[in-house]
Parts: sequence; C-alpha cells; structure tokens
Amino acid sequence: MATRRSFLAGLAALTLPMPSWADVGAPACLAAGKQGERFVLHGLSAAGQSLFAIDLPGRGHAAAAHPQRPLAVAFARRPGTFALVLDCLDGSVRHRLSPSEGRQFNGHGVFSADGRTLFTSEVVAEGSAGRIGIWDTDGFRRIGEWASGGIGPHDLKRRDDGSLIVANGGIATDPTDRSKLNIDSMRPNLTHLTADGHIAQLAELPPELSRNSIRHLALGRDGRVAFAMQWEGDPAEVVPLLGLWQPGQAPVLCPPRPAEAMRMRGYAGSIAMAANGLIAITSPRGGVVMIHDADGAHLATHARADICGAAPDGDGFLLTDGSGVMWSGDQTGLRLLSKDGPAWDNHLVALA
Amino acid sequence: MFRPLFLIASLAASAAMADVAEVVGDHILPRHQAFAQAAEDLADAAEESCDPRELAPAFQSAYDGWMGIQHIRVGPVEEEGRGLAISFWPDPKAMGERAQRDLLQGDASRLQPDSFAQQSVAARGLTGLERLLYPTQPWPSDTCPLIRATASDLARLADELRNGWADGFGPLLLSAGETGNTRFLSQAEARQLLFTQVVTGLEYIKDQRLGRPLGSFDRPRPERAEAIASGRSLRNVALSLQAIREMVAALSGDATRTLAELDRAIELAEALADPVLAGTATPQGRLKVEILQQAVDAARQEALAELGPALGVTTGFNAMDGD
Repeated sequence: MATRRSFLAGLAALTLPMPSWADVGAPACLAAGKQGERFVLHGLSAAGQSLFAIDLPGRGHAAAAHPQRPLAVAFARRPGTFALVLDCLDGSVRHRLSPSEGRQFNGHGVFSADGRTLFTSEVVAEGSAGRIGIWDTDGFRRIGEWASGGIGPHDLKRRDDGSLIVANGGIATDPTDRSKLNIDSMRPNLTHLTADGHIAQLAELPPELSRNSIRHLALGRDGRVAFAMQWEGDPAEVVPLLGLWQPGQAPVLCPPRPAEAMRMRGYAGSIAMAANGLIAITSPRGGVVMIHDADGAHLATHARADICGAAPDGDGFLLTDGSGVMWSGDQTGLRLLSKDGPAWDNHLVALA
Repeated sequence: MFRPLFLIASLAASAAMADVAEVVGDHILPRHQAFAQAAEDLADAAEESCDPRELAPAFQSAYDGWMGIQHIRVGPVEEEGRGLAISFWPDPKAMGERAQRDLLQGDASRLQPDSFAQQSVAARGLTGLERLLYPTQPWPSDTCPLIRATASDLARLADELRNGWADGFGPLLLSAGETGNTRFLSQAEARQLLFTQVVTGLEYIKDQRLGRPLGSFDRPRPERAEAIASGRSLRNVALSLQAIREMVAALSGDATRTLAELDRAIELAEALADPVLAGTATPQGRLKVEILQQAVDAARQEALAELGPALGVTTGFNAMDGD
C-alpha cells in the first residue's frame, strides 16, 4: 500500500548518492586528540574549524580516511589490539577490526584508491616481523596479509599506481608494553611493495645510522618519498632526521647544520610534503617545526611547544600541537588558525 | 558562598602571572646578567694574558655563570645555535678538538670576530676554552690567539643571551595571552614552558651529567663525564641543581616537596668527594653517584607530581609520549 509520500521517499533513496566527505563538511584532515578525559577524533577544515567530533574508547594514534565515503579508521596506540571503522556522518562504530591471531596493529593504515581495500601496518607480536594486513572494506573482512619487508613497520603510504611504500622502523617491541628489545641490532628500511605485495625495492641506511628508526612518510606528486626518522642512538650524536628516496636509488639524507639539527632532539614526530615540494618535519620534544625545500635543504625552524601533527595544505602546511592549537605554516612562519581544541595527538591525516 | 569562591579564583589567576614575572625578574634575568658579566670579565682577562694559570679563575667563574642558566633551553639560547656554541657537550666524536686543530693550523683570519662567529659550534665556547686552558695533549701551535678569539666570542654570545631575554623573549613570556602574542596564547602556556625547563633540566643532569659517566655496571664510562679537564664534573651538577631550585622557588612558593627533594639532591652532590666522578669506575664510588642520580630523579618526579598540578600544567602531551 504505497502512499505517494513513501513512494517519493523510496525514489529519493534510490537516487541518493552514497554519502561522501562533502556530507560531513568536506574536512581537510582528521586528527585525534584528548579533550578533558575524553578521547576524540575530529574532522577539521583547512581554516582550523572542527566539522565533527567522534568519541574514541582510548587514545588514538593515526587514522586512515576512506578516499570517497566519510569513513575513518582509527588505530589504537601500539601495541594495537583494535582499530575502529567510524561513520563520520553519525559517529557510529561501523566495524571493530581485530588483527589476526598473533598480530598487532602498529599505528597506521591506508586505503586503496578505489576505497575497496584497507592496508594496515602490523607486526607478528612475537619478534615484531612486519606484516601488511589486507582488508576488504565491504564488511571489513580480513582477506590476507603480506610481509612488510622488515621489522616493526609503522607508517605506510599508497602511490598513484597502487603500490605501497612502507617505513619499517626496525624496532622489535615487547608485545605487552612497547619496550624496545633490539636497539643494538635494529636495521630499519624503506620498502616499496608492488600492488600485489611483492617487494620491488628495499633501501637501508648506512650502518652508522642503523639506530635511526624510519617511522613516517610523505609522498610527493613526482613519486618521491620523504621520510622522517627517530634516533635511538646516543643523543649526543647529531644525525639527519629527514631523508628523500626515489625507489630504485639510494636514499638521500638531508642533514641540517648541527646547531639547527640539535633543536629536534633526535626526534621527528610527523612529516608532510606540500604541493610545491616543501617538506615539514615536527619535533614535539624540541618544540619546533622545520621547513625544508624540495631537495631537503633546511629553510626555517619555527618554535612552538609540543607541535607534532602536520599535513600538506596547498604550498604550506597545517600543524597541530598538544595545547589544542592549529596553525598554518610555511618557510615564513606560523599563523594561528584556531585554539582551545583538544590536546591534538601525534598526527594530522590529510584527506586526498 | 559564591563570592568568596570567585575571589579565590581571581587571586589564583593573578598569583600565577606573578610566578612567571618572578621567574623572569628574579631568576632568569639576573642569572643571565651574571653570566654575561663573567664572560666579559673572562674576555678582558684573556686580553691581559693568555697564561692558562692566570685565566683559570675567570674561566671557572664564567663556567659557574653558565651553570646558572644552562637549564633554560628556550628563547635566544636555541636560536643561531648559541647554546651549542657556548657548550658543545657531549662530543663523543671529538668534533670540537678536530675543529680547533684545524683553526690553529689554518688561515688566521678565521679568528677575527665576524669570521670566528661562523666557525663550527663544536670548536667554540666554554668547552673549546677548556681544551685550550687545560690541555690534555699538546696543540700544534701557539694557542693564545685562539684563546682570545674564543673568549671574546663567548662574551658576545652571553651578551646576546642577556639582551635577547631582556628585550625580546622575557617581554614575550610576560605578555602571554595578550593580543598579538602568537607564541604564548595563554598564561598557562608561559607557565608550562618554565615548568618544562625544570623537568628537562633535571632529566639532563640525571641522563647526561651523571648517566654518561655511569654507563652500565659492566661498562662504566668515567671518561665521559662533563668538564673533567677543568675538574668541574660534580660542581656542574651541584650548581645546576641550585639554579633549578631557585627557579622552582620562584615558580611556586608552595612546591615544598619538590624543594625538599631538590635540597636533598644538592646536599648529596655537595657531600660527594668525587669532583670528576671518577668513582663511577669502582663499585663503591659508583653507588654514591647512583644515589645522587636517584635523588635527582626523585626531584624530577616530585616536580611532575606536585609542581605541575600546582601550576595547572603538564609537560607536553606529545613530547612525553611519542610514536
């Protein structure tokens, strides 16, 4: 007994497109944070406005954004026993992902360009051998896994051809408490995995930098990989924390002058590459963001306590800090976008 | 009921601002003034004589002055590499000594002030002067010109720190939360910055000044202590603890447990008869240094537990827990 009204409603539903990011205000990026005692995931505009906020059950690390639909996967901090697929339209938890038996999520994930597959960085709990978990996003079923090419993979990024770049940080951690087990023998690497999961290229650092954990990645339009490192060796040593890699070639390290380099305190927390090739790395420990040109030459250092999140925004960057402030920045300085937000966590995840 | 509560709240707010003003006015500025004066005296003394025995007292005073501010690692000291140019330690690869050998053998025009200010941070400052005034091995040529250039450069750096605080970073900190101040968006951020200097200053003493010579039980590393040649390893610990204590007292008169832990650490440091921490090589001597190290850590933990909440701040959300 269809009434005219229900008929029209049914018709509207049929023609209604799938919800998209535009339906939640077209956020520029996603960021996790802590507001009072609550953990939250926000969608943020490039002007620094919060477009939506979703409660999380615990402190998040990074998120992965579906390329079209307003879905975010929030990863728990390491050792990650779960990830949540969040519907950003209504804040509901659509799926709760658990890694396979004996596996742990390791902080990051990325969707395929068509959104049909989710890739997650994972470790075998015992020994921290790296895996890339593969999930069918129709129901978020786990459909397989690949070797990541190293120990302790952390960040991973997708290239336009569907292949993956993985930062194998090299650190084996205790499966229960994150304590580091192999600092003396760690060997981080960058791995380029083909779209069907074969290791196409693998690049290591020179032996004297084997304690420089490669943890975070940014990709340029030209396919170049910028990578950020965290030094596990003697803090008195001045080591580069930024490198560039063109798969197939040797990585190029980008050391700033020692006086500048020391301001990072051996720790790069996030990395982003702007449309014009500028590269930002942040150090919450040193309270600085460093801006580099496309070749990795240091241009400027800006001070701001606990700054960490970084995402590209045109020819500059969006940046967040632990005091709830969002900034825009480039080589000329930092500009305030918004304040009084949550204590923003490590990463800002740009939507493609 | 409502009214008194409101009054208490507003009093607390003004007291908090007074704390930042007290730290800047009673601790940071006078300590920077003292260091700048001592560094200037050292440069003057070096013009008079290059004899290490005659210069030693002025060198020791300047180093004492640096220990009064070394825990403050923000502001002018982090710009242009000034902090490293004043003290490049630890230097596990002996970069400083190599750079100095090069300066002693090469083009003397590099010792001119403008040019010298561009030389490697590792070659300059107190750590550079220490190697020249307390040599552990012969230098390839007369060190007098390099001593004078280094002392004069150090005086310039100390002067820049003093002026940078008095005219730039101090006013910036004191105007926290005011319109136009984009570095410190609230008074809490100014308090947090000062609080962070206390915590990281104590961490530095524990992990670097004491932790490096301690090494591990199986492999103690007494040769890695700071300022061995000038006999200052332990003195640096004691002076830095005293300076941090002064800063804590200015930050909050109520942090009694933190002050008590600091007093205990200072007492232990002053009672330890091991000026260059050579005892770290023996089980007995090592134990005493470890007890001091534990006391420093207890002060750090008390600062986190008591002082931070009293100021309404923590160390950074991301800084203390990376990934």
